[in-house]
Amino acid sequence: MTRAAALLLAAALAGHAASAAQAAAPRMTVSVDRTAVATKLGHTFVIRSTLTNHSATPAAGLIAHLNVLSLEPSLYVDPEDWSSHRTRYLTPIPAHGSITLSWKLAAVNAGDLGVYIAALPRSGRAVDPTTGPLVHVTIADRRTLDAGGILPLALGIPALLALTTALLKTFRLRASRAGSSSGRALRT
Amino acid sequence: MRGAGIVLTQELRDLWLDGRALALSLAFSLLLSVIAYLVASNRALNFLEQRETVNLTLQVAVAIGALLALLTAADAVSGERERRTLESLLLTPVSRLALVTGKLLGALSLWLAAFAITVAYVWFLGRGVGIAGDALASGIVVGTLLAVFLTSFGILLSIFSPSNRVSLSLSLFLLLALFAPTQLPSGATSGWAGDLLLRVNPLTAGEHYIGRIVVNGRAWNEDLVWLASPAAAAAVFAALALAIGAHYVRLGGGGSE
Repeated sequence: MTRAAALLLAAALAGHAASAAQAAAPRMTVSVDRTAVATKLGHTFVIRSTLTNHSATPAAGLIAHLNVLSLEPSLYVDPEDWSSHRTRYLTPIPAHGSITLSWKLAAVNAGDLGVYIAALPRSGRAVDPTTGPLVHVTIADRRTLDAGGILPLALGIPALLALTTALLKTFRLRASRAGSSSGRALRT
Repeated sequence: MRGAGIVLTQELRDLWLDGRALALSLAFSLLLSVIAYLVASNRALNFLEQRETVNLTLQVAVAIGALLALLTAADAVSGERERRTLESLLLTPVSRLALVTGKLLGALSLWLAAFAITVAYVWFLGRGVGIAGDALASGIVVGTLLAVFLTSFGILLSIFSPSNRVSLSLSLFLLLALFAPTQLPSGATSGWAGDLLLRVNPLTAGEHYIGRIVVNGRAWNEDLVWLASPAAAAAVFAALALAIGAHYVRLGGGGSE
């Protein structure tokens, strides 16, 4: 009984500490300029996000982070390929103020993907990140490499060079034979 | 300059009609064919990886093309000396400057041929990702600067080397030494010393410039500072090769008679 009471007290204290930490953090929201993007493979597009500080105190020490994920299990996505500048260390956002960030992305895989932006504290405090709505990105496929066309090229160029080398050798061999036979004819 | 033209014509005939340059070009095309086939038949490559593959193909082409020119240049004088044909060459009414110029240009023909072969492969791999034109343009600029630098260095080695073996070994050593920094982990080159090494080394600087254009899609004028080292090396070593060659091409190696 005493042990159960101690556990309950510990849980209550932990909950209080967590809620106190949440309360101390400025109230933030993340919004985006659009929630759907449709483009083609290889093209670039920009998503603008706005981080708004709704509290009466400035929000300092924040990091904005962009993430890209595949909505299909069959598609592998490396977010680094999509954007080389996915983490931004923000300047303080004034009370009731906002900051707008532009994220440039390159469409490197075809398919359905999701993009979202999260705001986190630099302090590393254990608080839930503030995330914006998911942006549904649809990348239309287009043929960028003709797999069937490589064989004629990969075989054709060496074959052409080999043929030229062989023809030159034959030509020179015949020329030298002709030279030596005419020499023999002259000697006899 | 007429003398240089005569030497160049003879060099081109020796290199291309005797089959040595054609055989090297054939081996070069086989290497590019293997790379292109492996890339094109890989369906898992994403758009960015295709650009990286164009970059890889181009960098291999520039490196191997320059190597072919370097090896030919390293044989230019010491080879003639070893085959005992230098004496008759020096007796011809052609100045030594014309002789070195003709041999330098003849060796450069291997790079130009290598680039001509590369065009088809880079066009095939790069047209779908819209990078073929920029890749080829950056390849010819960087590759020519590096080829001029390495060919001139090869000629200098050849002038002073007592034997062909010494000249070729030193050339290969130089090329491997210049390439070594490309194998360093990215962290090792992130400091000021690493960055300086990459910028001063003409090979790494040139290949870095190609990568910025082909992979990162940068504009031509954005990273021009990376071309400073290849351009300076080409100008300085070409001038040195011509100036030294005009005075020191002699029957014996090491500048002795």
